[in-house]
Amino acid sequence: MFTSIVAGLAAGGAYALIGVCLVFTYRLVSIVNFTGAAIGATGTFVMVVLFEAGFSLSWSVLAGLVAGTATAALLGAVMVRWFADAPAQTKAAVTVALLVGMIALGLRLTGGQHPRPFPDLIPGAAFSFAGVVITRAALVTIALALLITIGGTQFLNRTRTGLKLRAMSERPMTAELTGIPARSLSIGVWAVAGLATTLALMIIAPQRAPNFLTFSMLVVPAFAAALIGSFRSFWLTLAGGIGLGLLEGLAASLTWLQQFRSTVPFLAILVVLLWSQRKARWDEAR
Amino acid sequence: MKPAKVSAGIVTVIIAVVATCLINFALTSYWVFLCTSAIIAAIALQGVGLVASRAGMISLCQMSFAAVGAWVVAWLNLHGAPGTLLLWVALGGLAAVPLGVAIGLPALRLRGINLAIVTLGFAAAFDVVLLSFTFPGQTKFIFVKRPDLFVSDQAYFALCVAVFVAIALVLNALNRSPLGASWLSIRHSERSTAAHGVSIPQSKLSAFAISAFISGISGGLLAGQLGTLVADSFSLMVSLVYFVVTTMAGAHLVEGAIFGGILIIFFPEVLRRLNLPQDIGNMFFALGATQALSMGGSMSEDLRRAMAKRFGRKPAQSVAQNQALRTTILPPEQHANAPAALQIKGLTVRYGAVVALNDVSFTLPEKSVVGLIGPNGAGKSTLIDAVTGFLHGYDGTVQLAGVPLEGLQAHKRAQAGVRRTWQQTRISPQLDAGTYLTLAAGKRLAISEAQDLLEWMGCPSPDTPVSSIDAGTRRLIDVAGVIAARPAVILLDEPAAGLSHEESLLLASRIALIPERYGISVLLVEHDMDLVRMVCNQVVVLDFGRVIAAGPTAAILSDPCVIKAYIGDPEELLAS
Repeated sequence: MFTSIVAGLAAGGAYALIGVCLVFTYRLVSIVNFTGAAIGATGTFVMVVLFEAGFSLSWSVLAGLVAGTATAALLGAVMVRWFADAPAQTKAAVTVALLVGMIALGLRLTGGQHPRPFPDLIPGAAFSFAGVVITRAALVTIALALLITIGGTQFLNRTRTGLKLRAMSERPMTAELTGIPARSLSIGVWAVAGLATTLALMIIAPQRAPNFLTFSMLVVPAFAAALIGSFRSFWLTLAGGIGLGLLEGLAASLTWLQQFRSTVPFLAILVVLLWSQRKARWDEAR
Repeated sequence: MKPAKVSAGIVTVIIAVVATCLINFALTSYWVFLCTSAIIAAIALQGVGLVASRAGMISLCQMSFAAVGAWVVAWLNLHGAPGTLLLWVALGGLAAVPLGVAIGLPALRLRGINLAIVTLGFAAAFDVVLLSFTFPGQTKFIFVKRPDLFVSDQAYFALCVAVFVAIALVLNALNRSPLGASWLSIRHSERSTAAHGVSIPQSKLSAFAISAFISGISGGLLAGQLGTLVADSFSLMVSLVYFVVTTMAGAHLVEGAIFGGILIIFFPEVLRRLNLPQDIGNMFFALGATQALSMGGSMSEDLRRAMAKRFGRKPAQSVAQNQALRTTILPPEQHANAPAALQIKGLTVRYGAVVALNDVSFTLPEKSVVGLIGPNGAGKSTLIDAVTGFLHGYDGTVQLAGVPLEGLQAHKRAQAGVRRTWQQTRISPQLDAGTYLTLAAGKRLAISEAQDLLEWMGCPSPDTPVSSIDAGTRRLIDVAGVIAARPAVILLDEPAAGLSHEESLLLASRIALIPERYGISVLLVEHDMDLVRMVCNQVVVLDFGRVIAAGPTAAILSDPCVIKAYIGDPEELLAS
């Protein structure tokens, strides 16, 4: 049983990483981004298509990362251009609409819902401990998530640009008037989140039934992780994501639960919401 | 208003009957079948539209509710339950409601977009569950039986149209009720809706539950149409597409739901005939929804706007300008020893280190108008927020006719009899003036009552859409709204800001009459000193969160301290 719990580690690392990126986007540009995972899926599929076409793995990965980043930047540009002053609810609805478009386009270009083989970017075991094998993929995703978490908190709290970004998320118009290049910074935030998400999805792709739809829906466990961190705390989101992965691993090891293990994120969302009701309060004045 | 509504309902029914006959007699069975699919999709869209377009919430699992409805119908059919499909469909709709409440309850008590996240999570989880629980009878090819009367495709189509029209009529009636008005109002501003005594979670939850019911019905009807069901019809992706199409078409309106149903069913059909891949449809819907969101209007709303521009009335003229106001305006008669309507004792509000209100105490006597004045930032609006329950906390006590209000949430305080207006008008532009009064009053007003009140306040007739009313007149409707609720106390936050001189005079004459005519006591926050002088028995002056003077109007307004707080020290001014 312990083995299968640990098997959830890689997925947990990916949930944490995407979750942290969602918190990053929410805190800096106040958008709850439903396309979070679909952006990563785009980059990952660019990578696999190029790889199948005979390009070397490193070039394919590079191209995939560029594609993921560019997609994110493009979506960011759309949001900045047309929805900068829209209420949070509208922005979220826009990302839902964009998600539908991306999934439709993605499924069309990648041959529907049939899973396709993915190259193992980081194969093999890192080490084994008491008979339990820890894969290198798991270690790398978690390390990446940790890196983004530390980088994110340090960047926001310690750097001038971080300070500007925080100012911008609270009062975009005021920030713009004080000379902060709000638009380019917003697009930058999208791009960075897109890059990290793409990398996470590339690493865990071989362990999933990878089609564009299931990839895009990895945004659900990532949302669960982000809710655990109340869309504020990077560290809680990180812990929540890894915890969810482990829980799924546990569920997979119990035969009666196995087939329902993907309901774990939903149950986590319910529990978190029930818990956070204690501090229900008003939206900002409007 | 009422006769017009009834005829709108009759028109809907007539159009539905004529369209049904035309389609049934002119088209082949294949097309009738597609039309049936479209009308069932339109019913599902009515459900999504209620939540998404009317109440402004994002719900991404409506097809899961439809699946519940379909599942219940298939189960009842398999077990030969009593009754026919009609009863089963209704039961299927009801079965979806507790599920909707269970999902909505944790999400909707919190503000923000939690509902979107939880419904997406639910739809994803439900997909997995549905795959393992096949529909009852699916593996044995047991078809859902239609009632004898509706066996033919044509008759079944007519049945589905009838259900669609019935839901449309019920929703239309509901939309005129305080509950229905609160949905549109919540979408515009949650706080102002709560200020009308509406419990926000309850209102949202009821919208979500009713929409689950409607979606469940659509699923049941689909079971009757297809006979056998597959999980694919109810997948997460379908739910997402329905949300997107709702946003694009504006499915909270009848014609929007029909547009949407036609788009969902016929657009892929057209693509198929053109030998184009059908999923282009979803990309088109995504673009359409994005476009609609950026323009702030859906297809049906745009159409209605264009129609109104072409055939509709001119923008409502401010009535105040036509009313000759020659009477002198006097404050209400001050009754000596009148009991306190509202008593504020030691009210203190801190924002971190900033003290916004410092030990403020005063009394609003029954049937009086008390002015609360002071320079910008003195804490006037903070006081209103505190009294009406919109702050997280404060020290001191507020008593309404001797009963403390502490511990009551904003909507409870409003129900207890403390109403307020806002510095900026927050009426949802999608309401009409009469429905707004219904929302404010918390009950349906008699037509004559709404008409009289609006006329008295110099506002246009009850059926005037708020969107066609100018900003100044909307502020007068704000005041009419709080009067319609017949509370004990109203707190008006700068009601004259943005009014023309004539409107201001009209407002003054009305405020002065409110205590006598309606038995309501008024606390008036205002910068317009002429207005304050005309209508207030007493004045309380705030400066930097403290009461610096209080007493009879004329005496206070000539107090040097007060003048200094307002326009600065005359000697300093001279010196500079």
